[in-house]
Amino acid sequence: MTTRRDFLRDSSLLGFGATVPAFLGRTAYSAPLAAKPGARDTVLVVVQLTGGNDGLNTVVPFTNADYYKLRPTIAVAKDQVKKLTDDVGLHPAMGALAKLYTDDSAVCVVQGVGYPNPSQSHFRSMDVWHAASTAETLTAGWLGTALKKQPVPGFHLASGNETSPLALAGAPVRVPSITSLDDFKLKMVSVTGADAAAQKNVITSSAPSTSETPALLDFVARTQMNTYASSEKLASIGKNYTPKVPYPTSALANKLKLAAQLIDAGIGTRLFYVSIDGFDTHAGQGGATGAHANLLTQVSEAISAFYRDMVGRGHGKRLCVMTFSEFGRRAYENGSKGTDHGASAPMFLVGGNVKSGVVGDHPSLKGLKEGNLVHGTDFRQVYAAVLDRWLDVDSKPIVGDGFKAVEVFAK
Amino acid sequence: MLDPKLAWAPFAPTPQNPWDRAKVGHLYRRAGFGATASELDAGVKDGHAKTLDRVLNGAPESEDFTRTSDFMASERSMPPGAPQGRLSAWWLDRMLKTRHPLREKLTLFWHNHFATSNAKVQNACFMLTQYRLIQSHALGSFRELLTKMGSDPAMLVWLDTNTSTKAAPNENYAREVMELFSLGVGNYTEADIRQAARAFTGYEIKDGKGTLNRRQHDTSEKEVFGKKGKFTGEDIAKLCLDHDACARFIVRKLYRFLISEADTPDAKLIDPLAEQYRKSDFDTGKFVATMLRSNLFFASSSYRAKIKSPVEFAIGTVRALEGVAGTLPLAEALEGLGQVLFAPPSVKGWDGGEAWLNAQTLLGRNNLALAITSTEDARFGSRCDPGQLAAKHDIATDAKLVDFLLGLFLQGDAPQGARTKLLDYLKTAKGVKYPAYWSDDDVANHRKRAVTHLVLTLPEYQLN
Repeated sequence: MTTRRDFLRDSSLLGFGATVPAFLGRTAYSAPLAAKPGARDTVLVVVQLTGGNDGLNTVVPFTNADYYKLRPTIAVAKDQVKKLTDDVGLHPAMGALAKLYTDDSAVCVVQGVGYPNPSQSHFRSMDVWHAASTAETLTAGWLGTALKKQPVPGFHLASGNETSPLALAGAPVRVPSITSLDDFKLKMVSVTGADAAAQKNVITSSAPSTSETPALLDFVARTQMNTYASSEKLASIGKNYTPKVPYPTSALANKLKLAAQLIDAGIGTRLFYVSIDGFDTHAGQGGATGAHANLLTQVSEAISAFYRDMVGRGHGKRLCVMTFSEFGRRAYENGSKGTDHGASAPMFLVGGNVKSGVVGDHPSLKGLKEGNLVHGTDFRQVYAAVLDRWLDVDSKPIVGDGFKAVEVFAK
Repeated sequence: MLDPKLAWAPFAPTPQNPWDRAKVGHLYRRAGFGATASELDAGVKDGHAKTLDRVLNGAPESEDFTRTSDFMASERSMPPGAPQGRLSAWWLDRMLKTRHPLREKLTLFWHNHFATSNAKVQNACFMLTQYRLIQSHALGSFRELLTKMGSDPAMLVWLDTNTSTKAAPNENYAREVMELFSLGVGNYTEADIRQAARAFTGYEIKDGKGTLNRRQHDTSEKEVFGKKGKFTGEDIAKLCLDHDACARFIVRKLYRFLISEADTPDAKLIDPLAEQYRKSDFDTGKFVATMLRSNLFFASSSYRAKIKSPVEFAIGTVRALEGVAGTLPLAEALEGLGQVLFAPPSVKGWDGGEAWLNAQTLLGRNNLALAITSTEDARFGSRCDPGQLAAKHDIATDAKLVDFLLGLFLQGDAPQGARTKLLDYLKTAKGVKYPAYWSDDDVANHRKRAVTHLVLTLPEYQLN
């Protein structure tokens, strides 16, 4: 296992020398250590459900006759739902998360989350969620902006085809995307240490930028520098991580397992961003079983294993996992036994310090707007809670005025 | 502010702004997948008019190339269930060997525009049918392309048109045809989408072809963009093409693809070109020629104003090395760099630009460059040999080698410091103690390979 001392030794700036810019020295390398007295050491893990998760089949209003009328072939039967309250329950594929709710009181369900005049374009709506704004041009993300105030190290744990999310844009140091520790290495063909050192010196010592440097070239140089520094830093982390509980085999579970490893390595990382794609269920989405159910199983089981692993290692109270999707889906099903793009949907927060329970009302099935569920809670109210209470960053400059934080954390 | 007329007028070299190696490299990178040393030499020698004609017109493919490529794409060698890697590898092979790189490059542009993924389609034959549709219109009529795309089998599966019913239409294609394929967000209403979705009912796939089944089609009246009629899918394509926003939307996208990702062009710059495109009835070839011949294309603001895509990075490197690469392992490597042909991440395609580069993909690029240039990598090494390349071009000294490599890959666009560092490396690598069984040639080759890899890791090489 990697000890903190190993890390401090291995992460020394040797090899990067004077080329490591000041901003990098201030942030990635000077993160408050978890054990430092007085340091707030909360960890936020954002799980993005890409494609528009069908919220109505995720948190099911099983006593509502309209629900069954709107969805003749894909509704989840009342007796299969994992009850949360007398009126709503989780999809049966989310048994693991339901157990965290009932047995561990570690799940907060925020119902009916959205924003006014919701866009039904995947890409526009995703940008709105990432930027926490409905302005026409969106260039900075809510987390990237938060990192300016609270520059904690973070990682985007990516799949091969995935680019860095807008949510992380605007950070003073680019949040590195990594897919696996094994591939996160700078390789060289060298016969001796001296040869390797000479090659590495050429690769890692790019010329310093000047005011004349074109923006794109500067971007590449900064990305390179940040990458080589991160790669060096992660090289020290133990290759063998044995989780306290078994993880399921899924891409999402692998990403969360890597997050667990990085959290446990004690290198001060406090922000993780992961995605799972496939929620754009226009056709053949299934009901209690099927395509959508399989996705929910992956989400529920991966998050549950991750949380239990972290509890087992004493990080349970530090951890908050937050899920979101760019929109929910149409209340009624279409002819392809699927659902088209809709509006509001639930968010989940999981962790040892969340206020377990159901927050907000289930959106009304009588008061649909053009067939879509109307939101009761603005997503920026959830962000406000996460920023103010979890990351200790003033939410107002990021989400704007008028978004009262919802109670999602324990007092 | 740039005068639009001057910006789009054809470039003509002047003594102050001559035709040179940098401009030849720029043209070959944007209009294709990069140049070889002899293409760079010929481009400078032949002058700008001849070189532009050569690049824009391409040359007919050789019979051997056409036969082999077609055979590899036949149902016998590429059945519907063929693995993704074979599909991507097939196209990479075309990109490496084609005599008309501009056409393959624009095919890639339209593939990214009508981004369809075999991850959902799960049918290599359908994907190749779509490739042929796109490739045949890549430099042809966008009108034809957009219209035919509505009943393309891969697209019918990808956006669920084939399961949409009269009783309960599926909105997937109707939305994306407006949002991503022709107009852009803000130029249509949700009501337009719901109405258009009814026009896209009744499409099905029969014998590998998309057809309209009138009995399953909603034949009643629809209202789209304020116009009423008993529209079919083809009618919706026409309505989109007639829409004011259409030409501008495509022109902006092509600007980003061919000219610059570094700026957002002013409407004044885009509008005259959009007007030309519309008036030519969406003749893409003509339009692309205007862009590539223009003053703006050869202006310093457009030079290296793009990040290389993984495909450009990989194909450009292999071409410049005049080597051979197995395109199956190449396709596999490109997955780690974030670009799998025939499998874009979403219907929006690859974001491109800065999104290509993050910590993981940057390391991936360095490591791919290493794999291509080193003998230790069984996938590529022995067949892309910088040592052979240097010998072929009579490069005898270290200084000449560095200058040759910087000229080949970067047309000299590296800071003086980089040149010094590369020379320093070569010097250091001479003094290193190598294994006793290495011959002098082994050492010389190792140094050549290593320094080539180092050139490929320079930040300037990431720019297109």
